[in-house]
Amino acid sequence: MTGERGRLARLCQKELRETIRDRRTIVTLVLMPLLVYPLLSMALNRYILSSGTSATAGYSIGVATEAEGVELDRWLSDPRSQPPDAVRAASGGGVAEFQIFVTGDVTPREAVERNDVDVGAAVEPGSRPGTLRVQLIAYQGDSASEAARQILVQRFQWLRLAEAENRAAADDPSFASTVDIEVETVGEARSRSLLGTIVPLVLVLMTITGAVYPAIDLTAGERERGTMEPLMASPVSRTSLLFAKYAAVVVVALLTAVANLLAMFVTLWASGLLEQVTGEGAGVPWRAVAQILALLILFSGFFSALLLSLTSFAKSFKEAQAYLIPVMLLALGPAMVSLMPGVQLAGPLAIAPLLNIVLLARDVLSGTVEPTSAVAAVVSTLAYAAAALGVAARLFGSDAVTRTSDQSIGSLFRRPPITTPVPTPQAASLMLALLVPVYFVVSNGLMRFLSANRESFSLGGQLLLNAAALTVAFGFVPLLAAYLGRNRLATTFRFGRPGAGGFVGAALIGLGAWAVAHEAFVIADAAGIGGLSEERIRETLKVVENWKQVSPWLLVGTLALVPAVIEELCFRGYLFSSLLRVLSPARTILVTSVLFGLFHVLTGNALLIERFIPTTLLGLMLGWIAWRTGSVLPGMVMHLFHNGLLELVARYHESFAFLGEDLEQQSHLPATWLIGATGIAAAGALVVFLTTRRRLHPST
Amino acid sequence: MLTVESLSKIFPLDTGEVRAVDDVSFHVGPREVFGLLGPNGAGKTTTLRIILGLLEPDHGFTEVDGHRTASDPFGVKSRLGFVSANDGVYPWLSVREMLLYFGDLYGVAPDDAKARIAALAERMGIAAFLDRRAGTLSTGQRQRVILVRGLVHDPPVMLLDEPTRGLDVVGVQTIFEYIDHLREMGKAVVVCTHRLDEAERLCDRFGLLHQGRLRHGGTLAELRAATGRQHLVEMFVDLLQDPPKTTSGESA
Repeated sequence: MTGERGRLARLCQKELRETIRDRRTIVTLVLMPLLVYPLLSMALNRYILSSGTSATAGYSIGVATEAEGVELDRWLSDPRSQPPDAVRAASGGGVAEFQIFVTGDVTPREAVERNDVDVGAAVEPGSRPGTLRVQLIAYQGDSASEAARQILVQRFQWLRLAEAENRAAADDPSFASTVDIEVETVGEARSRSLLGTIVPLVLVLMTITGAVYPAIDLTAGERERGTMEPLMASPVSRTSLLFAKYAAVVVVALLTAVANLLAMFVTLWASGLLEQVTGEGAGVPWRAVAQILALLILFSGFFSALLLSLTSFAKSFKEAQAYLIPVMLLALGPAMVSLMPGVQLAGPLAIAPLLNIVLLARDVLSGTVEPTSAVAAVVSTLAYAAAALGVAARLFGSDAVTRTSDQSIGSLFRRPPITTPVPTPQAASLMLALLVPVYFVVSNGLMRFLSANRESFSLGGQLLLNAAALTVAFGFVPLLAAYLGRNRLATTFRFGRPGAGGFVGAALIGLGAWAVAHEAFVIADAAGIGGLSEERIRETLKVVENWKQVSPWLLVGTLALVPAVIEELCFRGYLFSSLLRVLSPARTILVTSVLFGLFHVLTGNALLIERFIPTTLLGLMLGWIAWRTGSVLPGMVMHLFHNGLLELVARYHESFAFLGEDLEQQSHLPATWLIGATGIAAAGALVVFLTTRRRLHPST
Repeated sequence: MLTVESLSKIFPLDTGEVRAVDDVSFHVGPREVFGLLGPNGAGKTTTLRIILGLLEPDHGFTEVDGHRTASDPFGVKSRLGFVSANDGVYPWLSVREMLLYFGDLYGVAPDDAKARIAALAERMGIAAFLDRRAGTLSTGQRQRVILVRGLVHDPPVMLLDEPTRGLDVVGVQTIFEYIDHLREMGKAVVVCTHRLDEAERLCDRFGLLHQGRLRHGGTLAELRAATGRQHLVEMFVDLLQDPPKTTSGESA
């Protein structure tokens, strides 16, 4: 065992040695951090000066003569030129400071053009004695310059206003200002600066950069060099080989992270920006640096596995790069989200890959970590890493020996000559890749169309159009894929004969499940993890209110029957049968459920993140039924009952008022109802379980 | 030593399927050099890959020293040495590091591997650049390193895939000496090549592969008796003109 472990250590050592010696690794490892951070800090310095955090900001004004400077200074130090307290409080309490310089050899205009000063000013006596004429020169597009000009203009406006009000009060003793303003703020003060998010974001992105090259080199690079075949011919398990490579990629990613962390903190410290990030007094926050390092270790573990799972697929460097570029761009999506104001590490965002680590690192820096979300972020990232590593282990070296790829774009659309019972996982991933844009375009297009022609469609018409859109996306796309792949429809969509037990059990589960779903939703909402905003609840209630105008048949038909049939065909039919080829039943159920959940998040123009957990749970149940019964049909029945009952309860909730509970207030169901419904669902599950035992275990 | 029995492999294509290997059987004993011959695309490399356990056969099996690939893949792999014209080196490792790495992969104890590499380096004339970065080697030097790599674990069976492809006269001569050396050491050797003139000089027995099927097998004398031709080249020309009796729905 120790011999085996020693060998594994030597294998890791070899991979690492190979990577570290490579010049290209050194570039990302050493040169990038040395160059990037000083440049970044210069940009940030400029940004902070111009971003209106005026408490500390100072602007420079260039004037031509000493006399003009004195005159300007006199007016600017007049307290009447400063904004009233209410206005000042509303904009953070600070007052911008101006320093006045005499530009000497050059005119103020030239000084602005040369960026020596933020604004130029020409001051001359006004048309009447005691008045002033000021001309301001700013540099277009330079935010610091434009901000300085705007503040100066406002200062003079305040001055004019104060002067006018004084005069008016002197002339008319009864004069009073039209409006008196007072401001008040609620909520706790947050000192999170944008910089506090940018720092972890840059670190995460740089860690990615560090991992990319070794990930490609150690997998696709092996094939390109002609070393993959001898490697695969050796008596070592693929898992060991991959693990050695994984260890090397993680180490290089980490070295990159540490190099970047060091370079960044040294730069921040040297440029005086560190306080902006930590919000504390001077000094390096060692504890936070250590915690961020730990987060980066975790992140490199996850991202290295993800990269390896993609590059293991590729036959050449070029191909691997082609796979990685979209992933890198996709990674920018969550990264952008983290920069939005008010984004909290809570709810679904705590388990959003990459984003959760950036947000957690931001909270670590500002010292406001919320333990539950932090644990969720760490655990979910570990889970993603394990999953990606599993995929990589499966892919690495498979097909190692060339099976020369004769696949071109054309072969995607050419039907194979032989009919196959179920689609390949590759075909299923292509189907998914087509489904996402089709669904996006169809559902968005429909929304735009309906909002433009709201008068010409009744609610019933809108519901019908919705159902049609759903059918196009989740029905037509898998059908097209099955046609192009020449897959037998009965086996692809799993039209097995489940027996009466499967139907009865599924119907019972559907009858009980809606109550459980409702209760879970209420509990989640009460615990604050439902993620539903007040606004969203109001919108939903409005929609439900409108349902009363529609016939219950139409409601159930469009919102329960069509989704039940079409979604089941797609998720528990096409995808299920395809994944079952390569995955265990448990994993197939899990993957289809997560996809089912994700597609429900992606609706129309909004991301309904709160729908993810309930629909994934529903997906797990439907997947279990589909696996036990070997058919897509019982799941349709359960799906129909589940959706239909939820909608009917929503439509007729007033009729339930006699029961003493008010569904409109999102309150708990009566205990007897809940116990009854749970009992029915459990009985249904038992029926499914018992009646499918023989099918799954023919010997017993 | 090496037994290949009724091996078949079918690859699906867009336009049908191709029988890359079709019911191929042969046996190679110690001190024997078997030439698996055929034009490009005859199924030579696919056969080797199945023996190596890199591809799974659709039918048939391979056995090395009593170990079957299907039931004991690592047992088979550790008894095979493999050298191919496509093989590369790790450019950033020294020759010695790379050879030690392969010793490790094949479970050779590091000390044994060192001793073995020293002896092989002397024999194959690579001792002078053992500590140079493999990326800096010339083609000829690289070829000899790869030949040594295949022997680090002292396998009883050696598989050589197009070993002389792309080599100059000196390189080809090195391969000839190497194969003689393997024979002396008592190894069972399979050489895949389409260079029939070379094969005639090198091999003890031959298998003529065409469109996945083994069309003729035996010593040169046996082949001459069976085909009435003097040289392998002539036998092949006959084969290529004679349409195969059983092929699949392959269109190309």
